[in-house]
Amino acid sequence: MELFDFYRKDRWPHVFCPGCGNGTVMNCFYRAFNDLGLSLDRTAFVGGIGCSSRIPLYINSDALHTTHGRAIAFATGLKLASPELKVVVFTGDGDLGAIGGNHFINGCRRNLDMTVICINNNIYGMTGGQASITTPHDFLSTTTPSGNKEYPFDLAEIAVAAGANYVARWTTRQVHELTKSIKTALQKKGFAFVEIVSQCPINFGRRNKMPDPTQLLDWFKESSVRRDKARAAAVDHVDLNLAGQITVGEFVDRNRESYEELIGAVKHG
Amino acid sequence: MRAKPGEYFIQGNEACVEGAIVAGVRFFAGYPITPSTEIAEGLARRLTGTDGVFLQMEDEIACISAVIGASWGGAKSMTATSGPGFSLMQEAIGYAAMSETPVVIVNVMRGGPSTGQPTRASQGDVMQTKWGSHGDYQVIAFAPASVQEMFDLTVEAFNYAEKYRVPAFLLSDAEVGHMRGPLTIPDKIRIVNRKEKGVKRSDEAYDISDELVHPFPVFGKGHKTMITGMTHAEDSRIEPEDPKIHEELVKRLSEKVLMNRKDINKWEVMCPGSKTMVVSYGAASLGAMEVAAQDDRIGLLRLKTIWPFPEEPVAEIASQCDRMLVCEMNLGQLYGDIKRVALEAGCRKVELLSKIGGDPPTPNEVRHKLSEMGAI
Amino acid sequence: MKPVVDPKLCKGCNICVYICPKKCYSRGTDISDIGYFDAVVDAHEKCYNHNRSGKLLCELCILSCPDQAISWHPETEEEQSR
Repeated sequence: MELFDFYRKDRWPHVFCPGCGNGTVMNCFYRAFNDLGLSLDRTAFVGGIGCSSRIPLYINSDALHTTHGRAIAFATGLKLASPELKVVVFTGDGDLGAIGGNHFINGCRRNLDMTVICINNNIYGMTGGQASITTPHDFLSTTTPSGNKEYPFDLAEIAVAAGANYVARWTTRQVHELTKSIKTALQKKGFAFVEIVSQCPINFGRRNKMPDPTQLLDWFKESSVRRDKARAAAVDHVDLNLAGQITVGEFVDRNRESYEELIGAVKHG
Repeated sequence: MRAKPGEYFIQGNEACVEGAIVAGVRFFAGYPITPSTEIAEGLARRLTGTDGVFLQMEDEIACISAVIGASWGGAKSMTATSGPGFSLMQEAIGYAAMSETPVVIVNVMRGGPSTGQPTRASQGDVMQTKWGSHGDYQVIAFAPASVQEMFDLTVEAFNYAEKYRVPAFLLSDAEVGHMRGPLTIPDKIRIVNRKEKGVKRSDEAYDISDELVHPFPVFGKGHKTMITGMTHAEDSRIEPEDPKIHEELVKRLSEKVLMNRKDINKWEVMCPGSKTMVVSYGAASLGAMEVAAQDDRIGLLRLKTIWPFPEEPVAEIASQCDRMLVCEMNLGQLYGDIKRVALEAGCRKVELLSKIGGDPPTPNEVRHKLSEMGAI
Repeated sequence: MKPVVDPKLCKGCNICVYICPKKCYSRGTDISDIGYFDAVVDAHEKCYNHNRSGKLLCELCILSCPDQAISWHPETEEEQSR
């Protein structure tokens, strides 16, 4: 299907800033979805609140734009009530890892069949650039004007520990690998989690000496390290940018029973 | 799967479970909280292994979110909680109101505020049921006063949630939820299902215009439905900046309920025409029921629907009596509205018997207060 | 096939300029109707998909463009001969 059969032409152009990585992820998602020959009528999209959570509203399909942090909980109900639908969640670092943390880890643990795309731009972009739980240490934001004193989450590692069947992380600098991982995630039984480190030039980059999106993409490229070439880093494996590195790759691809298999789910009514 | 018609002797919470099953519940998400846990446990037993779904979620916010999501997947869905969990659910309740999602929420009220009295009854969440989430919206709420009503009003909660596309509440309490009593399940029970977009209905259980309550576009039917909590236009386009669209939407959300009070409001009157009427609901009405049964001078207006506020029955009863006594198990929540309406309707005096701590007002306490008022 | 930038969609972020391994794009200097300095395709003959149809190669620009402003267009005979 054509790009503008997939996306709602009557809602175009989208609201994302010039250079925003959301648009890049939308391309990769469309490419993956289309290559697999999936049907929009048999898919439902769920988003929380935030820039990336708005992506479902641009897709020509059933979409549920929910409350901040709760997309996975809504998606859980939606999926179990209509198990024949493929459910895809679009969320962001704050939506998923801060306010949505509890639903994130329990979603991984429950291993319900769904694909969760987390676009991690290291900031709360929509509200103007406040620090997020993935803002790197010492970086500036509107709520950390003298530098972020806290250390960030590593969302992909949390998903691994919590039990997700498939976990991958890429940056928007690795579009082909990202597309391939999204394809794998869409076909994976159980909870499939793809984290994408993405550029927010206006509200993150601009305050941290990287106002141009290409500067952020360069930073991603320089920092990216394949997870299998494990870094010999300190055991405080918390900082996404520990020793200036972002681990990318497929973190886990396992076959724990999905929640549907565990309960022997039958389509209701 | 549903219980056979007949006579039973069961707990209030268990009767609620039976009512939900008869109404067609297909998705329940719950979290343990006294005194509502029996509802979750009952539905866990009844739904597991069927084509319905029971889920214990990680917190109450996840519960209410999941039941809203399930409703969009086409399932009649319900959750049950008490005060602390109810407070957590408020944001999502507002979302259900704004997105017009039919869901049923059972709140078995307990002593508050905060952790309060987990095992004792109160009616402290009455105002919160209507005003708990931010913004202007209307809900439908029923207050059962017996095991039978735990069954009947659960069915009604589902019916009205489906009919008006609103969150509907069953406001029970630790007394009514945990008491054991007789339940009659009849052969025929009126069940209302949502008016689904694209589905032709042959029966006329539906008498609401499409302008007030839009047909429900279930997910997975090719409608390309877009649902959001943001202010939206008729075609679900997000329009938060347009004052006119916001006004039209928010007013419609209220009007669809308020204009249909006649259909939604339910109440019972004992000794109509008495010059002194007790007005009460739920467990607080149990003592007054006994007084009214034994003393002709005292009547009782027992509200079964408390939201939308039943202006008309209160005004009508008030216009025919001299004194009203409101009995509530809180420090006076419906009292203000009842007094306003009653005084306007010509009643001379409206007083409050407020009892907190867990026990419903006893018949003697009611008689004592009535005697203080000079009614007996 | 050659890449074409849609001036109704391009917001001048220049990611295409940065990402193209063959340097087919450069930063524009003319302001578009919607107010951006659109990227310019000034060397499409260097593109991997020059004189190529069917399965296309690379496509980093198209996948990266945040505004879906780039699309593949058939080349004219003159363009094919470059």
